[in-house]
Amino acid sequence: MYVIGKREFFSLFKGIKSIIIVGMLLVTSYYSAKFSNFLASGMELTAKEAENIHTVGLLTLILIFGQLFVMGLSHDSLNRELHERTIRFLVTRTSRTSIIFGKFLGIWLFWFVCLTVSFLLISIFAQKIDVFIFSQTMSLLTYQIALTILLSVLIPKPGFTMFLGIVVGLAFPILGLWVNFTSNVWVSWTKFISPYYYLIREDYTFLVIVLLAGIMLITANLIFKRREC
Amino acid sequence: MNAIEITQLKKSYGSVPIVKGIDLIVKRGEIFGFLGRNGAGKSTLINMLTGIIQPSSGTYSLLSVEGPNDQVKKRVGVMPDYSTLYGSLTAVEHLKFLSALSGNPATKVRCMEVLQLVGLESHAHKKAAKFSFGMKKKLGIAQAIVHNPELIFLDEPTSGLDAESAIHIHRLISQLQKEGKTIFMTSHNLDEVEKICTTIAIMKEGQIVKVGTMDELRAFYRSTITIKLKHSPIQKANQELLNEWLESFGTDVIMNDSYTTINIDEEKKIAEMIRAFNQCKVDILRVEVEEPTLEDIFLDDSLNERI
Repeated sequence: MYVIGKREFFSLFKGIKSIIIVGMLLVTSYYSAKFSNFLASGMELTAKEAENIHTVGLLTLILIFGQLFVMGLSHDSLNRELHERTIRFLVTRTSRTSIIFGKFLGIWLFWFVCLTVSFLLISIFAQKIDVFIFSQTMSLLTYQIALTILLSVLIPKPGFTMFLGIVVGLAFPILGLWVNFTSNVWVSWTKFISPYYYLIREDYTFLVIVLLAGIMLITANLIFKRREC
Repeated sequence: MNAIEITQLKKSYGSVPIVKGIDLIVKRGEIFGFLGRNGAGKSTLINMLTGIIQPSSGTYSLLSVEGPNDQVKKRVGVMPDYSTLYGSLTAVEHLKFLSALSGNPATKVRCMEVLQLVGLESHAHKKAAKFSFGMKKKLGIAQAIVHNPELIFLDEPTSGLDAESAIHIHRLISQLQKEGKTIFMTSHNLDEVEKICTTIAIMKEGQIVKVGTMDELRAFYRSTITIKLKHSPIQKANQELLNEWLESFGTDVIMNDSYTTINIDEEKKIAEMIRAFNQCKVDILRVEVEEPTLEDIFLDDSLNERI
Protein backbone atom coordinates (compact mmCIF):
# COMPACT_ATOMS: atom_id res chain seq x y z
CA MET A 1 0.00 0.00 0.00
CA TYR A 2 2.74 2.46 0.99
CA VAL A 3 4.79 1.68 -2.15
CA ILE A 4 1.80 2.38 -4.39
CA GLY A 5 0.91 5.46 -2.32
CA LYS A 6 4.46 6.80 -2.59
CA ARG A 7 4.54 6.35 -6.36
CA GLU A 8 1.12 7.98 -6.75
CA PHE A 9 2.15 10.87 -4.50
CA PHE A 10 5.35 11.69 -6.40
CA SER A 11 3.83 11.12 -9.84
CA LEU A 12 1.13 13.72 -9.01
CA PHE A 13 3.79 16.40 -8.67
CA LYS A 14 5.01 15.70 -12.21
CA GLY A 15 3.33 17.21 -15.21
CA ILE A 16 1.99 20.56 -16.26
CA LYS A 17 -1.56 19.95 -14.93
CA SER A 18 -0.27 19.59 -11.37
CA ILE A 19 1.97 22.65 -11.64
CA ILE A 20 -0.96 24.78 -12.87
CA ILE A 21 -3.35 23.56 -10.15
CA VAL A 22 -0.80 23.88 -7.33
CA GLY A 23 0.11 27.34 -8.68
CA MET A 24 -3.55 28.43 -8.72
CA LEU A 25 -4.02 27.15 -5.19
CA LEU A 26 -0.98 28.94 -3.82
CA VAL A 27 -1.53 32.20 -5.70
CA THR A 28 -5.19 32.31 -4.62
CA SER A 29 -4.26 31.57 -1.01
CA TYR A 30 -1.56 34.20 -0.92
CA TYR A 31 -3.39 37.05 -2.62
CA SER A 32 -6.82 36.38 -1.10
CA ALA A 33 -5.21 36.41 2.33
CA LYS A 34 -3.22 39.51 1.50
CA PHE A 35 -6.23 41.46 0.28
CA SER A 36 -8.78 39.95 2.64
CA ASN A 37 -9.03 43.19 4.61
CA PHE A 38 -10.34 45.00 1.54
CA LEU A 39 -12.96 42.30 1.17
CA ALA A 40 -13.89 42.52 4.83
CA SER A 41 -14.31 46.27 4.64
CA GLY A 42 -16.89 46.00 1.82
CA MET A 43 -19.13 43.41 3.53
CA GLU A 44 -21.01 43.04 6.74
CA LEU A 45 -19.47 40.12 8.57
CA THR A 46 -19.96 38.49 11.92
CA ALA A 47 -17.00 38.46 14.29
CA LYS A 48 -16.40 34.80 13.49
CA GLU A 49 -16.54 35.44 9.74
CA ALA A 50 -14.20 38.39 10.03
CA GLU A 51 -11.77 36.29 12.01
CA ASN A 52 -11.57 33.71 9.21
CA ILE A 53 -11.68 36.10 6.28
CA HIS A 54 -8.10 35.23 5.25
CA THR A 55 -9.10 31.72 4.17
CA VAL A 56 -12.13 32.78 2.15
CA GLY A 57 -10.34 32.81 -1.23
CA LEU A 58 -8.88 29.35 -0.80
CA LEU A 59 -12.14 27.92 0.52
CA THR A 60 -14.14 29.39 -2.37
CA LEU A 61 -11.66 27.92 -4.84
CA ILE A 62 -11.87 24.45 -3.28
CA LEU A 63 -15.65 24.54 -2.76
CA ILE A 64 -16.27 25.47 -6.38
CA PHE A 65 -13.38 23.90 -8.24
CA GLY A 66 -12.12 21.25 -5.79
CA GLN A 67 -13.87 18.36 -7.50
CA LEU A 68 -12.72 19.58 -10.89
CA PHE A 69 -9.11 19.82 -9.72
CA VAL A 70 -9.09 16.40 -8.07
CA MET A 71 -10.73 14.73 -11.07
CA GLY A 72 -8.51 16.62 -13.49
CA LEU A 73 -5.42 15.15 -11.89
CA SER A 74 -6.64 11.70 -10.83
CA HIS A 75 -9.64 10.69 -12.99
CA ASP A 76 -7.58 7.88 -14.54
CA SER A 77 -5.61 6.75 -11.51
CA LEU A 78 -7.06 3.23 -11.77
CA ASN A 79 -8.73 2.88 -15.13
CA ARG A 80 -5.57 3.98 -16.96
CA GLU A 81 -3.75 1.04 -15.35
CA LEU A 82 -6.64 -1.28 -16.22
CA HIS A 83 -6.79 0.04 -19.78
CA GLU A 84 -3.05 -0.32 -20.37
CA ARG A 85 -2.89 -3.50 -18.31
CA THR A 86 -0.05 -2.23 -16.13
CA ILE A 87 -2.43 -3.19 -13.32
CA ARG A 88 -1.33 -6.79 -13.92
CA PHE A 89 2.08 -5.94 -12.48
CA LEU A 90 0.34 -4.72 -9.34
CA VAL A 91 -2.35 -7.39 -8.82
CA THR A 92 0.21 -10.19 -9.22
CA ARG A 93 2.29 -8.70 -6.39
CA THR A 94 -0.08 -7.28 -3.82
CA SER A 95 -3.72 -7.32 -2.74
CA ARG A 96 -6.35 -5.34 -4.58
CA THR A 97 -7.27 -3.60 -1.33
CA SER A 98 -3.67 -2.36 -1.04
CA ILE A 99 -3.87 -0.98 -4.57
CA ILE A 100 -7.10 0.97 -3.92
CA PHE A 101 -6.04 2.30 -0.54
CA GLY A 102 -2.48 2.95 -1.76
CA LYS A 103 -3.79 5.07 -4.63
CA PHE A 104 -6.09 6.90 -2.21
CA LEU A 105 -3.28 7.48 0.25
CA GLY A 106 -0.99 8.94 -2.44
CA ILE A 107 -3.64 11.33 -3.78
CA TRP A 108 -4.77 12.27 -0.27
CA LEU A 109 -1.19 13.08 0.80
CA PHE A 110 -0.70 15.22 -2.31
CA TRP A 111 -3.72 17.35 -1.43
CA PHE A 112 -2.79 17.37 2.26
CA VAL A 113 0.62 18.82 1.37
CA CYS A 114 -0.92 21.36 -1.04
CA LEU A 115 -3.49 22.45 1.54
CA THR A 116 -0.92 22.63 4.35
CA VAL A 117 1.36 24.85 2.24
CA SER A 118 -1.66 27.03 1.31
CA PHE A 119 -2.64 27.43 4.97
CA LEU A 120 0.98 28.24 5.87
CA LEU A 121 0.93 30.98 3.24
CA ILE A 122 -2.34 32.29 4.66
CA SER A 123 -0.89 32.20 8.16
CA ILE A 124 1.64 34.85 7.08
CA PHE A 125 -1.26 37.32 7.05
CA ALA A 126 -3.68 35.68 9.47
CA GLN A 127 -0.94 35.03 12.05
CA LYS A 128 -2.60 31.68 12.84
CA ILE A 129 -3.69 28.39 11.33
CA ASP A 130 -7.34 27.52 11.91
CA VAL A 131 -7.23 23.76 12.45
CA PHE A 132 -11.03 23.50 12.32
CA ILE A 133 -11.31 25.07 8.85
CA PHE A 134 -8.28 23.09 7.70
CA SER A 135 -9.97 19.84 8.86
CA GLN A 136 -13.26 20.77 7.20
CA THR A 137 -11.50 21.53 3.91
CA MET A 138 -9.48 18.34 4.11
CA SER A 139 -12.66 16.34 4.75
CA LEU A 140 -14.17 17.82 1.58
CA LEU A 141 -11.05 16.89 -0.39
CA THR A 142 -11.15 13.39 1.12
CA TYR A 143 -14.71 13.00 -0.15
CA GLN A 144 -13.76 14.28 -3.60
CA ILE A 145 -10.75 11.95 -3.82
CA ALA A 146 -12.86 8.93 -2.81
CA LEU A 147 -15.51 9.85 -5.42
CA THR A 148 -12.79 10.18 -8.06
CA ILE A 149 -11.41 6.73 -7.22
CA LEU A 150 -14.90 5.21 -7.24
CA LEU A 151 -15.57 6.63 -10.72
CA SER A 152 -12.15 5.49 -11.93
CA VAL A 153 -12.99 1.91 -10.86
CA LEU A 154 -16.57 2.02 -12.18
CA ILE A 155 -15.73 3.41 -15.61
CA PRO A 156 -13.12 1.42 -17.53
CA LYS A 157 -12.30 4.02 -20.21
CA PRO A 158 -9.92 6.85 -19.18
CA GLY A 159 -11.23 9.01 -22.02
CA PHE A 160 -14.72 8.86 -20.57
CA THR A 161 -13.65 9.69 -17.01
CA MET A 162 -11.78 12.69 -18.39
CA PHE A 163 -15.04 13.96 -19.93
CA LEU A 164 -17.01 12.95 -16.85
CA GLY A 165 -14.43 14.70 -14.67
CA ILE A 166 -15.30 18.03 -16.26
CA VAL A 167 -19.07 17.43 -16.05
CA VAL A 168 -18.97 16.14 -12.45
CA GLY A 169 -16.42 18.78 -11.47
CA LEU A 170 -18.68 21.60 -12.65
CA ALA A 171 -22.03 20.07 -11.66
CA PHE A 172 -20.91 18.84 -8.23
CA PRO A 173 -20.78 22.22 -6.41
CA ILE A 174 -23.87 23.54 -8.21
CA LEU A 175 -26.03 20.49 -7.44
CA GLY A 176 -24.45 20.09 -4.00
CA LEU A 177 -25.39 23.62 -2.94
CA TRP A 178 -28.79 23.48 -4.67
CA VAL A 179 -29.93 20.32 -2.85
CA ASN A 180 -29.03 22.01 0.43
CA PHE A 181 -31.36 24.92 -0.10
CA THR A 182 -34.14 23.46 -2.23
CA SER A 183 -37.54 22.66 -0.77
CA ASN A 184 -38.19 20.00 -3.43
CA VAL A 185 -38.88 16.88 -1.35
CA TRP A 186 -37.86 14.55 -4.18
CA VAL A 187 -34.27 15.71 -4.19
CA SER A 188 -33.73 17.41 -0.85
CA TRP A 189 -32.91 14.07 0.85
CA THR A 190 -29.74 13.89 -1.29
CA LYS A 191 -28.29 16.71 0.82
CA PHE A 192 -27.40 14.04 3.37
CA ILE A 193 -24.92 12.47 0.94
CA SER A 194 -23.62 15.86 -0.18
CA PRO A 195 -20.59 17.19 1.74
CA TYR A 196 -21.90 20.77 1.63
CA TYR A 197 -24.71 19.97 4.10
CA TYR A 198 -22.13 19.09 6.76
CA LEU A 199 -19.69 21.88 5.81
CA ILE A 200 -22.09 24.77 6.38
CA ARG A 201 -22.59 23.65 9.97
CA GLU A 202 -20.21 25.04 12.54
CA ASP A 203 -19.69 21.76 14.35
CA TYR A 204 -17.92 18.47 14.00
CA THR A 205 -20.55 16.91 11.71
CA PHE A 206 -18.00 17.34 8.92
CA LEU A 207 -16.69 14.00 10.17
CA VAL A 208 -19.72 12.46 8.42
CA ILE A 209 -18.03 13.53 5.15
CA VAL A 210 -15.05 11.34 6.04
CA LEU A 211 -17.47 8.51 6.76
CA LEU A 212 -19.13 8.97 3.36
CA ALA A 213 -15.67 8.95 1.74
CA GLY A 214 -14.94 5.67 3.57
CA ILE A 215 -18.16 4.13 2.21
CA MET A 216 -17.22 5.17 -1.33
CA LEU A 217 -13.73 3.71 -0.95
CA ILE A 218 -15.07 0.41 0.41
CA THR A 219 -17.52 0.28 -2.52
CA ALA A 220 -14.68 0.96 -4.95
CA ASN A 221 -12.67 -1.81 -3.31
CA LEU A 222 -15.53 -4.33 -3.57
CA ILE A 223 -16.03 -3.52 -7.25
CA PHE A 224 -12.30 -3.68 -7.96
CA LYS A 225 -12.02 -7.08 -6.27
CA ARG A 226 -14.53 -8.49 -8.75
CA ARG A 227 -12.97 -6.80 -11.76
CA GLU A 228 -10.87 -8.79 -14.21
CA CYS A 229 -7.57 -7.22 -15.10
CA MET B 1 6.99 -30.95 -2.71
CA ASN B 2 4.62 -29.45 -5.20
CA ALA B 3 4.91 -25.92 -6.52
CA ILE B 4 1.45 -25.88 -8.06
CA GLU B 5 -1.59 -28.06 -7.39
CA ILE B 6 -4.75 -27.48 -9.38
CA THR B 7 -8.04 -29.31 -8.85
CA GLN B 8 -10.94 -29.00 -11.25
CA LEU B 9 -10.20 -25.38 -12.08
CA LYS B 10 -12.78 -23.89 -14.43
CA LYS B 11 -13.40 -20.54 -16.06
CA SER B 12 -16.43 -19.57 -18.08
CA TYR B 13 -17.59 -16.29 -19.54
CA GLY B 14 -21.36 -16.49 -19.50
CA SER B 15 -22.21 -19.85 -20.97
CA VAL B 16 -18.91 -20.13 -22.84
CA PRO B 17 -16.41 -22.38 -21.04
CA ILE B 18 -12.79 -21.33 -21.57
CA VAL B 19 -11.05 -23.64 -19.10
CA LYS B 20 -13.01 -26.86 -18.60
CA GLY B 21 -11.87 -28.36 -15.33
CA ILE B 22 -8.11 -28.72 -15.06
CA ASP B 23 -6.28 -31.05 -12.68
CA LEU B 24 -2.55 -30.54 -12.61
CA ILE B 25 0.47 -30.93 -10.34
CA VAL B 26 3.78 -29.17 -10.96
CA LYS B 27 6.67 -30.31 -8.79
CA ARG B 28 9.18 -27.88 -7.34
CA GLY B 29 12.33 -27.35 -9.41
CA GLU B 30 10.69 -28.13 -12.73
CA ILE B 31 10.60 -26.15 -15.95
CA PHE B 32 7.00 -26.83 -16.85
CA GLY B 33 6.11 -26.09 -20.48
CA PHE B 34 2.53 -25.39 -21.37
CA LEU B 35 1.62 -25.82 -25.00
CA GLY B 36 -1.56 -25.02 -26.84
CA ARG B 37 -2.97 -23.24 -29.83
CA ASN B 38 -4.21 -19.67 -29.62
CA GLY B 39 -7.40 -19.62 -27.56
CA ALA B 40 -6.69 -22.99 -25.92
CA GLY B 41 -6.93 -21.39 -22.48
CA LYS B 42 -3.23 -21.23 -21.49
CA SER B 43 -3.16 -17.56 -20.57
CA THR B 44 -6.56 -17.83 -18.84
CA LEU B 45 -5.12 -20.58 -16.64
CA ILE B 46 -2.03 -18.51 -15.78
CA ASN B 47 -4.21 -15.46 -15.13
CA MET B 48 -6.34 -17.45 -12.68
CA LEU B 49 -3.30 -18.79 -10.85
CA THR B 50 -1.70 -15.37 -10.55
CA GLY B 51 -4.79 -13.47 -9.36
CA ILE B 52 -5.42 -11.50 -12.54
CA ILE B 53 -8.84 -13.13 -12.99
CA GLN B 54 -11.06 -15.14 -10.67
CA PRO B 55 -11.78 -18.81 -11.38
CA SER B 56 -15.45 -19.79 -11.87
CA SER B 57 -14.89 -22.88 -9.75
CA GLY B 58 -12.19 -25.25 -8.54
CA THR B 59 -9.22 -24.87 -6.22
CA TYR B 60 -5.50 -24.32 -6.56
CA SER B 61 -2.48 -23.87 -4.35
CA LEU B 62 0.87 -22.23 -5.04
CA LEU B 63 3.94 -23.27 -2.99
CA SER B 64 1.59 -25.28 -0.72
CA VAL B 65 -0.50 -22.20 0.09
CA GLU B 66 -4.14 -22.37 -0.96
CA GLY B 67 -5.06 -19.63 -3.40
CA PRO B 68 -6.04 -16.94 -3.88
CA ASN B 69 -3.60 -15.67 -1.27
CA ASP B 70 -1.95 -12.26 -1.25
CA GLN B 71 0.97 -13.30 0.96
CA VAL B 72 2.18 -15.99 -1.43
CA LYS B 73 2.37 -13.38 -4.21
CA LYS B 74 5.62 -12.15 -2.66
CA ARG B 75 7.19 -15.55 -3.45
CA VAL B 76 5.90 -15.63 -7.02
CA GLY B 77 7.13 -13.80 -10.13
CA VAL B 78 4.83 -13.21 -13.08
CA MET B 79 5.40 -12.09 -16.61
CA PRO B 80 1.85 -11.60 -17.93
CA ASP B 81 1.08 -12.33 -21.58
CA TYR B 82 0.25 -8.81 -22.64
CA SER B 83 1.09 -5.73 -20.66
CA THR B 84 2.50 -2.38 -21.49
CA LEU B 85 5.07 -0.94 -19.16
CA TYR B 86 5.02 2.43 -17.39
CA GLY B 87 6.25 4.67 -20.20
CA SER B 88 7.58 7.34 -17.84
CA LEU B 89 9.75 4.93 -15.83
CA THR B 90 13.22 3.70 -16.80
CA ALA B 91 14.14 0.00 -16.66
CA VAL B 92 15.84 0.45 -13.27
CA GLU B 93 12.89 2.44 -11.89
CA HIS B 94 10.53 -0.35 -12.97
CA LEU B 95 12.59 -2.93 -11.14
CA LYS B 96 12.91 -0.80 -8.01
CA PHE B 97 9.19 -0.03 -7.85
CA LEU B 98 7.97 -3.56 -8.57
CA SER B 99 10.48 -5.29 -6.30
CA ALA B 100 9.49 -2.95 -3.46
CA LEU B 101 5.86 -3.83 -4.13
CA SER B 102 6.76 -7.50 -3.73
CA GLY B 103 8.24 -6.73 -0.33
CA ASN B 104 11.86 -7.33 -1.37
CA PRO B 105 13.21 -3.95 -2.54
CA ALA B 106 16.08 -4.36 -4.98
CA THR B 107 19.23 -2.29 -4.72
CA LYS B 108 20.60 -0.57 -7.81
CA VAL B 109 23.31 -3.25 -7.99
CA ARG B 110 20.69 -6.02 -7.96
CA CYS B 111 18.67 -4.19 -10.66
CA MET B 112 21.74 -3.94 -12.88
CA GLU B 113 22.53 -7.60 -12.24
CA VAL B 114 19.03 -8.65 -13.35
CA LEU B 115 19.11 -6.37 -16.38
CA GLN B 116 22.41 -7.96 -17.34
CA LEU B 117 20.83 -11.41 -17.05
CA VAL B 118 18.17 -10.48 -19.61
CA GLY B 119 20.60 -8.52 -21.81
CA LEU B 120 19.22 -5.07 -21.11
CA GLU B 121 22.04 -3.52 -19.07
CA SER B 122 22.89 -0.94 -21.73
CA HIS B 123 19.32 0.41 -21.58
CA ALA B 124 19.02 0.56 -17.80
CA HIS B 125 18.33 4.29 -17.69
CA LYS B 126 16.22 4.57 -20.82
CA LYS B 127 12.49 5.24 -20.39
CA ALA B 128 10.28 2.27 -21.24
CA ALA B 129 8.27 4.40 -23.69
CA LYS B 130 11.28 4.27 -26.01
CA PHE B 131 11.70 0.49 -25.75
CA SER B 132 11.21 -1.84 -28.71
CA PHE B 133 8.88 -4.85 -28.38
CA GLY B 134 11.79 -7.19 -27.65
CA MET B 135 13.22 -4.86 -25.01
CA LYS B 136 9.82 -4.65 -23.31
CA LYS B 137 9.69 -8.43 -23.28
CA LYS B 138 13.10 -8.61 -21.63
CA LEU B 139 12.11 -6.06 -19.02
CA GLY B 140 8.95 -8.11 -18.45
CA ILE B 141 11.14 -11.11 -17.62
CA ALA B 142 13.46 -8.98 -15.48
CA GLN B 143 10.58 -7.66 -13.34
CA ALA B 144 9.35 -11.23 -12.84
CA ILE B 145 12.66 -12.38 -11.34
CA VAL B 146 14.03 -9.25 -9.64
CA HIS B 147 12.56 -10.06 -6.21
CA ASN B 148 14.09 -13.55 -6.23
CA PRO B 149 10.81 -15.53 -6.33
CA GLU B 150 10.54 -19.30 -5.83
CA LEU B 151 7.92 -19.79 -8.54
CA ILE B 152 8.02 -17.94 -11.85
CA PHE B 153 5.21 -17.73 -14.42
CA LEU B 154 6.38 -16.74 -17.88
CA ASP B 155 3.70 -16.31 -20.54
CA GLU B 156 5.42 -16.68 -23.90
CA PRO B 157 8.77 -15.34 -22.72
CA THR B 158 10.56 -15.49 -26.07
CA SER B 159 7.84 -14.58 -28.56
CA GLY B 160 8.99 -11.58 -30.55
CA LEU B 161 12.63 -11.93 -29.52
CA ASP B 162 15.46 -12.37 -32.02
CA ALA B 163 17.20 -15.76 -32.12
CA GLU B 164 20.21 -14.62 -30.06
CA SER B 165 18.05 -13.08 -27.33
CA ALA B 166 15.83 -16.18 -27.26
CA ILE B 167 18.88 -18.40 -26.66
CA HIS B 168 19.99 -15.98 -23.95
CA ILE B 169 16.59 -16.31 -22.26
CA HIS B 170 16.66 -20.13 -22.58
CA ARG B 171 19.97 -20.15 -20.72
CA LEU B 172 18.57 -17.83 -18.09
CA ILE B 173 15.55 -20.10 -17.55
CA SER B 174 17.81 -23.13 -17.18
CA GLN B 175 20.02 -21.17 -14.77
CA LEU B 176 16.99 -20.23 -12.66
CA GLN B 177 15.99 -23.89 -12.50
CA LYS B 178 19.51 -24.80 -11.30
CA GLU B 179 19.04 -22.27 -8.50
CA GLY B 180 16.03 -24.32 -7.38
CA LYS B 181 13.27 -22.17 -8.79
CA THR B 182 10.18 -23.58 -10.49
CA ILE B 183 9.32 -22.16 -13.87
CA PHE B 184 5.87 -22.44 -15.41
CA MET B 185 5.98 -21.19 -18.97
CA THR B 186 3.77 -21.16 -22.02
CA SER B 187 5.09 -21.04 -25.52
CA HIS B 188 4.19 -21.45 -29.15
CA ASN B 189 7.74 -22.44 -29.96
CA LEU B 190 7.76 -26.24 -29.89
CA ASP B 191 11.54 -26.51 -30.29
CA GLU B 192 12.02 -24.25 -27.29
CA VAL B 193 9.70 -26.31 -25.11
CA GLU B 194 11.27 -29.58 -26.24
CA LYS B 195 14.74 -28.18 -25.56
CA ILE B 196 14.37 -26.63 -22.12
CA CYS B 197 11.25 -28.00 -20.39
CA THR B 198 11.47 -30.95 -18.03
CA THR B 199 7.72 -31.60 -18.17
CA ILE B 200 5.26 -30.64 -20.87
CA ALA B 201 1.50 -30.28 -20.87
CA ILE B 202 -0.58 -29.97 -24.02
CA MET B 203 -3.80 -28.02 -23.74
CA LYS B 204 -6.60 -28.20 -26.28
CA GLU B 205 -9.96 -26.48 -26.09
CA GLY B 206 -9.71 -25.71 -22.39
CA GLN B 207 -8.51 -29.12 -21.29
CA ILE B 208 -5.13 -30.68 -20.70
CA VAL B 209 -4.93 -33.60 -23.10
CA LYS B 210 -1.53 -34.92 -22.02
CA VAL B 211 1.13 -34.23 -19.42
CA GLY B 212 4.55 -35.83 -19.11
CA THR B 213 8.22 -35.71 -19.93
CA MET B 214 9.21 -35.69 -23.59
CA ASP B 215 9.97 -39.44 -23.40
CA GLU B 216 6.59 -40.18 -21.85
CA LEU B 217 4.80 -38.14 -24.50
CA ARG B 218 6.69 -39.95 -27.27
CA ALA B 219 5.91 -43.35 -25.77
CA PHE B 220 2.26 -42.43 -25.47
CA TYR B 221 2.03 -40.96 -28.92
CA ARG B 222 3.61 -43.77 -30.81
CA SER B 223 3.35 -47.43 -29.91
CA THR B 224 5.85 -48.51 -32.61
CA ILE B 225 9.38 -47.39 -33.37
CA THR B 226 10.58 -47.14 -36.96
CA ILE B 227 14.12 -48.45 -37.45
CA LYS B 228 16.17 -47.89 -40.57
CA LEU B 229 19.33 -49.96 -40.83
CA LYS B 230 22.14 -49.29 -43.27
CA HIS B 231 24.13 -52.46 -43.79
CA SER B 232 26.56 -54.27 -46.08
CA PRO B 233 24.98 -56.32 -48.92
CA ILE B 234 23.17 -59.48 -47.76
CA GLN B 235 24.07 -62.76 -49.36
CA LYS B 236 21.26 -64.25 -51.46
CA ALA B 237 21.12 -67.35 -49.27
CA ASN B 238 20.60 -65.34 -46.11
CA GLN B 239 18.29 -62.73 -47.59
CA GLU B 240 15.15 -64.89 -47.54
CA LEU B 241 15.90 -66.31 -44.12
CA LEU B 242 16.48 -62.87 -42.66
CA ASN B 243 13.38 -61.45 -44.30
CA GLU B 244 11.26 -64.28 -42.89
CA TRP B 245 12.66 -63.69 -39.43
CA LEU B 246 12.09 -59.91 -39.62
CA GLU B 247 8.47 -60.41 -40.76
CA SER B 248 7.80 -62.42 -37.61
CA PHE B 249 9.77 -59.92 -35.51
CA GLY B 250 8.18 -56.61 -36.61
CA THR B 251 5.89 -55.07 -39.19
CA ASP B 252 6.16 -53.14 -42.46
CA VAL B 253 9.50 -54.69 -43.41
CA ILE B 254 11.17 -53.18 -46.45
CA MET B 255 14.45 -54.77 -47.44
CA ASN B 256 16.90 -54.00 -50.20
CA ASP B 257 20.62 -54.38 -50.78
CA SER B 258 21.92 -51.86 -48.32
CA TYR B 259 18.87 -50.65 -46.33
CA THR B 260 16.24 -52.37 -44.21
CA THR B 261 13.30 -50.57 -42.64
CA ILE B 262 11.07 -52.13 -39.99
CA ASN B 263 8.56 -51.09 -37.31
CA ILE B 264 9.08 -52.66 -33.90
CA ASP B 265 7.23 -52.24 -30.63
CA GLU B 266 10.11 -52.26 -28.14
CA GLU B 267 13.49 -50.56 -28.00
CA LYS B 268 15.31 -53.77 -26.86
CA LYS B 269 14.43 -55.43 -30.16
CA ILE B 270 16.99 -53.21 -31.87
CA ALA B 271 19.82 -55.13 -30.18
CA GLU B 272 18.28 -58.48 -31.20
CA MET B 273 18.06 -57.30 -34.81
CA ILE B 274 21.70 -56.27 -34.86
CA ARG B 275 22.71 -59.68 -33.48
CA ALA B 276 20.61 -61.43 -36.16
CA PHE B 277 22.24 -59.39 -38.93
CA ASN B 278 25.70 -60.12 -37.52
CA GLN B 279 24.98 -63.86 -37.44
CA CYS B 280 24.15 -63.65 -41.13
CA LYS B 281 27.55 -62.00 -41.63
CA VAL B 282 26.01 -58.63 -42.45
CA ASP B 283 27.75 -55.56 -41.06
CA ILE B 284 25.54 -52.86 -39.58
CA LEU B 285 26.81 -49.48 -40.77
CA ARG B 286 24.16 -47.18 -39.32
CA VAL B 287 21.01 -47.40 -37.20
CA GLU B 288 18.43 -44.63 -37.53
CA VAL B 289 15.55 -44.46 -35.07
CA GLU B 290 12.61 -42.34 -36.15
CA GLU B 291 10.94 -40.80 -33.11
CA PRO B 292 7.96 -38.47 -33.03
CA THR B 293 8.90 -34.87 -32.41
CA LEU B 294 6.89 -32.58 -30.16
CA GLU B 295 5.52 -31.08 -33.35
CA ASP B 296 4.12 -34.49 -34.41
CA ILE B 297 2.56 -34.96 -30.98
CA PHE B 298 1.20 -31.43 -30.83
CA LEU B 299 -0.34 -31.58 -34.28
CA ASP B 300 -1.92 -34.97 -33.71
CA ASP B 301 -5.63 -34.21 -33.58
CA SER B 302 -6.42 -37.74 -32.49
CA LEU B 303 -4.65 -37.13 -29.16
CA ASN B 304 -7.91 -36.01 -27.59
CA GLU B 305 -9.70 -39.17 -28.63
CA ARG B 306 -6.92 -41.48 -27.48
CA ILE B 307 -7.19 -40.34 -23.87
